[in-house]
Amino acid sequence: MTTPPPQRAYYQVPDQDPSRRARLVLGYDDFSSVNDAVARIVERPRPGAGWYVGFAVSSALLLVLGAMVTYLVTTGVGVWGVNQPSGWGFAIINFVWWVGIGHAGTLISAILFLFRQQWRTSINRAAEAMTIFAVICAGVFPGIHVGRVWFAYWMFPLPNQMAMWPQFRSPLLWDVFAVSTYFLVSAMFWYMGMIPDLAMLRDRARTRGRQIAYGLLSLGWVGSSRQWHRYEVAYLLLAALATPLVLSVHSVVSFDFAVSQLPGWHTTILPPYFVAGAIFSGFAMVVTLLVPARQFFGLKELITVRHLENMCKIILATGSMVGYSYAIEFFISWYSGNLTEAFVFVNRAFGPYSAAYWLMVTCNVVVPQLFWFRICRRNMLVMLLVCMLVNVGMWLERFVIVVTSLHRDFLPSSWGMYYPTWVDILTYLGSFGLFFFLFMLFCRYAPFIAVAEIKTVMPLAHAHPPEESHG
Amino acid sequence: MSERGSGERYWRSLEDLGDDPRFAEIAAREFPSLLPELADPRTRRTFLKLMGASMALAGLTACRWPEERILPFAKRPEGRVPGTPERYATAMELGGVARGLLVTSYDGRPIKIEGNPDHPGSAGATDSIAQAAILELFDPDRSRHPSQRVGGAHERRERADYESHIKGRIAALAGRGRGLAVLGEASSSPSLARMQGRLLRRFPALRWYEYEPVTRDNERLGADIALGAPLRTHLDLSSADVIVAFDADLLTGHPDALRHAREFAARRRADDGAMNRLHAVESAFSVTGAMADHRHAASSAAVAAFAGQLAAFVLGPLGELPRGLAQALARTEGRATAPFVEELADELRAHRGRGVVVAGPGQPPEVHALVHLMNDRLGNVNRTVHYTEDPGPTRPSHEAAIGELAEAIRSGEVETLVILGGNPVFDAPADVDFAGALGRLADSVHLSLYRNETSNACAWHVPRAHFLETWGDARAWDGTISIVQPLIEPLWGGVSPIELLSLLGDGEPAPGHDLVRETARGYLGRGGFESAWASALHDGLVEGSRLPRLPARPDPSRVARRVADWWPPVTPSETAGLEIVFLPDPKLHDGRFANNGWLQELPEPMTKMAWDNALLVGKATADEHGLRSHETAVVSVGEREIEAPVFVMPGQADGSLAIWLGQGRSVCGRVGDGVGADAYRLRTSGAMHRAVGASVRPTGKRHELATTQDHFAIDLLGLEETQRRRPELLREATLGEYREHPDFVRHRAHTPELHELWKPVEYDGYKWGMSIDLTACTGCSACVVACQAENNIPVVGKVEVIKGREMHWIRVDRYFKGEPDAPEVAFQPVTCHHCENAPCEQVCPVAATLHSEEGLNQMVYNRCIGTRYCSNNCPYKVRRFNFWNNQKATTDLEALRHNPEVTVRSRGVMEKCSYCVQRIEAARTLAKREDRRIADGDVTPACAQACPTQAIVFGDLNDRGSRVARAHASQRSYAMLEELKVKPRTRYLAKLRNPATDGGGDEHGGHA
Repeated sequence: MTTPPPQRAYYQVPDQDPSRRARLVLGYDDFSSVNDAVARIVERPRPGAGWYVGFAVSSALLLVLGAMVTYLVTTGVGVWGVNQPSGWGFAIINFVWWVGIGHAGTLISAILFLFRQQWRTSINRAAEAMTIFAVICAGVFPGIHVGRVWFAYWMFPLPNQMAMWPQFRSPLLWDVFAVSTYFLVSAMFWYMGMIPDLAMLRDRARTRGRQIAYGLLSLGWVGSSRQWHRYEVAYLLLAALATPLVLSVHSVVSFDFAVSQLPGWHTTILPPYFVAGAIFSGFAMVVTLLVPARQFFGLKELITVRHLENMCKIILATGSMVGYSYAIEFFISWYSGNLTEAFVFVNRAFGPYSAAYWLMVTCNVVVPQLFWFRICRRNMLVMLLVCMLVNVGMWLERFVIVVTSLHRDFLPSSWGMYYPTWVDILTYLGSFGLFFFLFMLFCRYAPFIAVAEIKTVMPLAHAHPPEESHG
Repeated sequence: MSERGSGERYWRSLEDLGDDPRFAEIAAREFPSLLPELADPRTRRTFLKLMGASMALAGLTACRWPEERILPFAKRPEGRVPGTPERYATAMELGGVARGLLVTSYDGRPIKIEGNPDHPGSAGATDSIAQAAILELFDPDRSRHPSQRVGGAHERRERADYESHIKGRIAALAGRGRGLAVLGEASSSPSLARMQGRLLRRFPALRWYEYEPVTRDNERLGADIALGAPLRTHLDLSSADVIVAFDADLLTGHPDALRHAREFAARRRADDGAMNRLHAVESAFSVTGAMADHRHAASSAAVAAFAGQLAAFVLGPLGELPRGLAQALARTEGRATAPFVEELADELRAHRGRGVVVAGPGQPPEVHALVHLMNDRLGNVNRTVHYTEDPGPTRPSHEAAIGELAEAIRSGEVETLVILGGNPVFDAPADVDFAGALGRLADSVHLSLYRNETSNACAWHVPRAHFLETWGDARAWDGTISIVQPLIEPLWGGVSPIELLSLLGDGEPAPGHDLVRETARGYLGRGGFESAWASALHDGLVEGSRLPRLPARPDPSRVARRVADWWPPVTPSETAGLEIVFLPDPKLHDGRFANNGWLQELPEPMTKMAWDNALLVGKATADEHGLRSHETAVVSVGEREIEAPVFVMPGQADGSLAIWLGQGRSVCGRVGDGVGADAYRLRTSGAMHRAVGASVRPTGKRHELATTQDHFAIDLLGLEETQRRRPELLREATLGEYREHPDFVRHRAHTPELHELWKPVEYDGYKWGMSIDLTACTGCSACVVACQAENNIPVVGKVEVIKGREMHWIRVDRYFKGEPDAPEVAFQPVTCHHCENAPCEQVCPVAATLHSEEGLNQMVYNRCIGTRYCSNNCPYKVRRFNFWNNQKATTDLEALRHNPEVTVRSRGVMEKCSYCVQRIEAARTLAKREDRRIADGDVTPACAQACPTQAIVFGDLNDRGSRVARAHASQRSYAMLEELKVKPRTRYLAKLRNPATDGGGDEHGGHA
């Protein structure tokens, strides 16, 4: 359905003609068929074999994560590769990486909602789910990376008999607030948006268990106008609340570095650079997830190539911002005349970790340039490959920032090298287990697509004569 | 562990007591209010639980004691206040030379060793080996019981067993004692000498041998040639303007090194007087070479030749010399003379009576003889160079003695051998095959602190008492007698050599205390003995016991006879192959401290290598033979070969390899087993210090060495950046530059103008600060071990050091400068700088590190959750993180050494230098009691206390007259990384060098 007949030029195809607003949803004539398409995934008695394979693999990886964390907690941070001078390693890299990925969801659901970008409706549910799961993965790392995991809760301002507050000047504390706020608001936003769809599932449920489960989750939604009215207002308010968070979370995460005085960290460019990078990696992750999902669950009409293409454009834009930041960092380190700062950047590019640096530049700056070409923006395979490389690149970016700044700082006598251990690597892989475990469950048991919202962007919702339809 | 066992026993006995009516009675008496509860069966269980818990705690307290005895307050010894440290003077003998010590003891546990301030040798300082003796005392691997070899293995015996065995043996010997021999270590103990004499009177046929693997016999032999007697040479560096050291590590590798370092450093303080100049000619880079104003790297053979050339210049004109000497020196002169030798001669002549020429123990006796002649000709004798008798003047050399003993065993002349300490199976010359000889003995007894290679080869092993456990006496290098007084009962029932000798001689063991007192009657005089004894114990030395200086003059004609046909090979190319120089391990001495974790983990000053030893090679030699750092190579001398890791060392002489002796132990303990390579297997009689004709081939096998600093091994980019930063971090100037631009430190780095963004915190009370004089620091690293002992710093092991997780709170950074084949070296101790604007404090999310009102940057271990953010943000990288539970392996026995004033840190917390806050608080208590301010000098951190050169001073910056305030006000004072405006409380005094070719600074004071 998405493939145009070869004899017609692309601008002659209604949904691809740039002069006309494309239809956001293809191939559905009535609302119930959309209901069917989405609810089918949940209502099938058994999902496809692929789901079982995916679920098994991610569960196994989740077990690996559990084993690694247990080993860490019972033994000590020494099982990782962190040392003196590199006090931070994989854990912080993974944390920043996952938090970054968790940016796309809220951006799509909140900012694009406020900007009335209606194409978001097909992808916002999955993107928000991805956000929440990514933030959960991110949240694992600051918790386990401390030396005494059992006291990590001291970072929260909990009342205690010593009247001991956290130290509010520390960016790590700001992180705690920023990330937990972000998680809570994103989760609320996601869940609230899901209520009408959960009610739809409840209404269609055939088994007692489902009726109860979805009945509880849908909080008594009956779809009355009054409810819809309250719902729309609340949704708008939450979107407005979530919007600044998109910018603030990664800015605060970047403060972990920018507020310190370490050369390579201590730069004012970090907040915008981190936010751009976060959106960049978040969109790359959304594409990475949606391309196979739309194929697997037969949602090609709801998540169209047009949607994916839009996301590719955002990836191209944010990738270019990231590339610009890389260049500016180099320029400023030279222009500042601070030789220690300059060395950090020369060392990044030509020191012992130069391979990571150049791989990062390739993945984040060079590879996304393919998206200048329409054919690449519309080719699923190219898209998938580029997006996966972008996430490799973004992981390397955090590696470069954390490790190359730490390993050679002010006093050459303290210089050293950081090498991850097998525990580091397996913990990282294990976090994918956690992510996909949650995502697999989401695919299977939750409305993958915001059905209620989709209906509002269907031609049917606008009672125009068919010839004037523009979707 | 029997201590743990004892705790458990206590616990069980309580349960036994539970229903005992007497227990109820005792409890009623002790805890009247609890009696009704005890009577009530319902609450009795609760009560027992409570009691059980408290008794278990009492049991734990008992664990701290080697013997299970809890003294109630009622029986408290007079003058003893529990929990109050007491200090006792004692001495540690190493290689026959005593170091005067002051040992701190808490509740009967010695926990910290300091130098005895009254002692002429140490003057309050210590070296790293003395600092680490506490760890040795409480080493769980120490031998705990006597044993006898049955078949191939040793079986446990009791003290009575070996005593009756020895008695029986002595009875069987009867008569003159034929067939009996004693092998002793070098010792200056008057008591040992007395026991030896007594034994020899009882058994006139007994043979007494003395062997010390790290021997200074060449000095004796050289003195014998020149002076006609094996006299001991003493240097007075305080009055020496020019010092020329030939392969002589005066500042760390000498029995009198502490005094040398102190006197040397005193003459480096350019503000207080004229600065001396040190020239070093040496093969391996030593601390002395690092401190030298001019260092010439030359193979050990070439060093001897240079000494000969210098002698030719100094002693000339040759026509006036005895014939043989003139001929030999003429041959020397004929060689291509390095220009520096003539300059040296001129300089020495210009400083008549104010110079010192000295050769190291590795140089042949002939060089020493020439050195004596030179000092005499230069008028240095009796001014900067003095002679005294050397204890044991008639003995053969150690090298000869061990050979003779082995020969005597093989020929059957010796059947029974008593070995007092030492480890000859491991460290005897390889050609002697001492292990093989031991196998032929009818009987052998080995007295030793550890069960080592030699113990296993002997029929009997007897545990030796540690010097902190036993009575003894010994002489310092200058002859001053110190009484060795015990701080604790022998933990494992060990005996001292004199006690064993008394058993041997008298058939009954006498207590060491009585033996030492009896000896002391000889030198303390009988009149007023008790008071003299008490003051000797209190002071740690016997007043006036210094050896008298002898008016000896070297005789050129005697030297001529020996030197006539002596000719050292000049360059390695003239000999076949390379030379290999055997050096005592800078940390393990001869290997006896191989099981000492503090010493093993101490980064050696020059290589910064912890654990292991390595084949040290120069860059050119390494390239020529394809050798690479962190890979092994096989070195062979004749048919003997060993495999050892290679370390390419800048400044190591071309054509000369060096290796430390003492590593590669096989029967050592949990710490030392299998660490490093055994270089003794290459060392043979006749080549005790240097073997020629060595060859080396790389194996290509990887062997990671645990270096804590990686200069010259890192990539070019990092190397260039290091060199760019070094002049700013470690500021230095020549004396001429300093005189011309006294403010040169301010021009070594351009610090931008620093502004206050807010009102800075005022420190009205005390304001603690530290100053480290880089001119005085020799890099000896005694401070590192001192800090480790004071602050309960764990040992983490080689693998963790490689990972960069060493825990030392103070480190000594070593920087090279200049060409890799002739670099200049400077040391910079770095501890927590206690910044006023501490970057670590700002980033801690839980406020675990914060500032005190006196400006200390404090760590609250209990609050720390271990984010390591503080460490990342510390520009000096002085914070140390407990990646593991580093105390997990600490046994109850080892825990005895812990300083109770310092928290033992658990896993997952950050730690760092506290400026020894516990010592500040102790001084505060004292000052408060006397209602006064803490005075300058009341607080000395462990590092400053150990420092032989007093490079580190500490005190109150608000006290204008304090040493530290004056140091901070000095023109040489600078803060490292000042531009960050962290306002560190530790500042450095820039290093001064005094090269002969001092052109002075350029206009701007020599920009970096």
